[in-house]
Amino acid sequence: MLGAERWRTATAVLMVAIAAVAWWNAGYFAHELIQQVAILAIFAMSLDLLVGFTGMVSLGHAAFFGLGAYATAALQVMFGWTVLEAMAGAIGVGAIGALLVGSFAVRLSGVFFIMVTLAVGEALHAYLFKDRAFGGDDGMGGIERLDLSAIGLSLDDPVAFSVFVIGVAVAVYVFLETIVRSPFGRILQAIHSNPARVRALGCPVPRYKLAVFTLAGAIAALAGSLSAQHTAFISPELLTWTTSGEVLIVVIVGGMGSLIGPVVGAAVVVLATHYVSGLTNYWMMIMGLFFIAVVVFAGNGLYGTIDAFRIQLSRWTRATR
Amino acid sequence: MLSDPTFLAIQVLNGLQLASLLFLLSVGLSVVFGLMNFINLAHGTLYMLGAYIGLSLVRWTGSYWIAFAIAPLCVAAIGAVFHVVLLRRMQAASPMRQVLVTFGLIYVGLDSVRYFWGDYSHSFDAPESLAGMVHLFGESYPAYRLFVIAFGLGVLLVLYLALEKTRLGAVVRAGVDDTETASAIGLNVSGTFFLVFCLGCALAGLAGVVAAPVLSIYPGMGISILISTLIVVVVGGPGSLAGAAFGALLVGMVETFGQVLAPSYAGMVLYGLMALVLVVRPAGLFPARASR
Repeated sequence: MLGAERWRTATAVLMVAIAAVAWWNAGYFAHELIQQVAILAIFAMSLDLLVGFTGMVSLGHAAFFGLGAYATAALQVMFGWTVLEAMAGAIGVGAIGALLVGSFAVRLSGVFFIMVTLAVGEALHAYLFKDRAFGGDDGMGGIERLDLSAIGLSLDDPVAFSVFVIGVAVAVYVFLETIVRSPFGRILQAIHSNPARVRALGCPVPRYKLAVFTLAGAIAALAGSLSAQHTAFISPELLTWTTSGEVLIVVIVGGMGSLIGPVVGAAVVVLATHYVSGLTNYWMMIMGLFFIAVVVFAGNGLYGTIDAFRIQLSRWTRATR
Repeated sequence: MLSDPTFLAIQVLNGLQLASLLFLLSVGLSVVFGLMNFINLAHGTLYMLGAYIGLSLVRWTGSYWIAFAIAPLCVAAIGAVFHVVLLRRMQAASPMRQVLVTFGLIYVGLDSVRYFWGDYSHSFDAPESLAGMVHLFGESYPAYRLFVIAFGLGVLLVLYLALEKTRLGAVVRAGVDDTETASAIGLNVSGTFFLVFCLGCALAGLAGVVAAPVLSIYPGMGISILISTLIVVVVGGPGSLAGAAFGALLVGMVETFGQVLAPSYAGMVLYGLMALVLVVRPAGLFPARASR
């Protein structure tokens, strides 16, 4: 009666309600935080698809986030595409980039996969940092936001942009939830728990891994594109290992393999970072210690704790019946 | 540029010097990986700590050689504490969680260094006995850099003898080849692992001290070299001494010549190389394990 997936949906609805309340009461700076949470949530959900559902721990996911941001900027500023075309292009570039990296990376598992993704991310960072074609270490500015004047919204208004990014985050959540519950998603979860058995059943495991890696890359690029529109600026900073690390922290702290957990994690990490960085210059230390504590003591993250409450509840209702 | 033999010789020496540092860093990481299938992402952090502790010792005592002797011991002690407090209790859990813990340690190490030594970059001088220049191929080349190359070769030789000729070395080779069988015949693999882990930490700290007079000391130094070190481990083959040596040589040369010839693409060539090795020979160029 209290299925894991229904509980997830309930949490998602609760998160949207919280977002709506926050949006209603937000001032300029709070809108800034809401937008950061929504974009990070999209990015984290795409990584959860890899880490939590398929068991592919990537430490280079920022590469696709950064590709999305750079493609959005380059297509708009250098090639004069409209924002909508540039966004579509960015998703395409993210997907193609992930397809290329995935074509050799998915053959590897565990620690090797971590190392390769880390190296690929740093390689792309090193290239964009040095090569002047995309602004080098200065980055690029002058990125515009999507034009929604057709439906009477101006995304330059923070109130409207908040609604827009929350809307995209909800759409991504619904899309990924559908994927995860589809037969394709079930196979991904089977690969996570026992790849050898899935192979024995006749499923081409690498092909599934490549498909999900490409999908995750495309969604990360969408998040990157939104981030470029949010700050109107891009720099190689977007692709560093710390960006990949931060999103992995969000997924693990939020609770991997739950899709809504990373959304909770994004909210907690953005707000905690904002709060702690106001208190001390050494917030990375606090984040690092918090992350280690979660990995050591609460392997299932924040959502794991919420989910444990569901299990308790259903046990209790069964006992009273 | 490459037709100039002097230029070529200097670049080869620079490449050898980087290879020597990378070898010191990667050998511990590689053997621990081979033994326990666990990669310490905080290995670069230990290198950074070695450099910073060396900096404090040089400032305090005024002697490079005291830093050279003491800093690696301090880093090994820090590594031992982390192993006992954190990593050992994670051993029962999946290797993935161990890796994630070491990833968290990178953040902690970075801010610790910023807290104790500040955000700015530092450096300290080479010892006076090695401060001069040596005339080679009609150019003058710093004596200290030649010392770095010679030291790396010396460590390689000592480790080779230790691995091939001592009982401990035999246990390490057996553990890398087949951990379960080695344990089953009564070898103390986890004790050996601890020793090798501490030795690897000490070598990383030593690399930090040796690198400090050549490269600058700054809070991000650990992560930038970690990536190169990982490439060395993957290309050479985890768990293999020859692999670490050859991988370090390859990466050192490609990085040095890449920086000179095509700065924008130097990184890409290296990562391309790693990808190629992983696809063609997933166990590395010098696989440590007999194929099964």
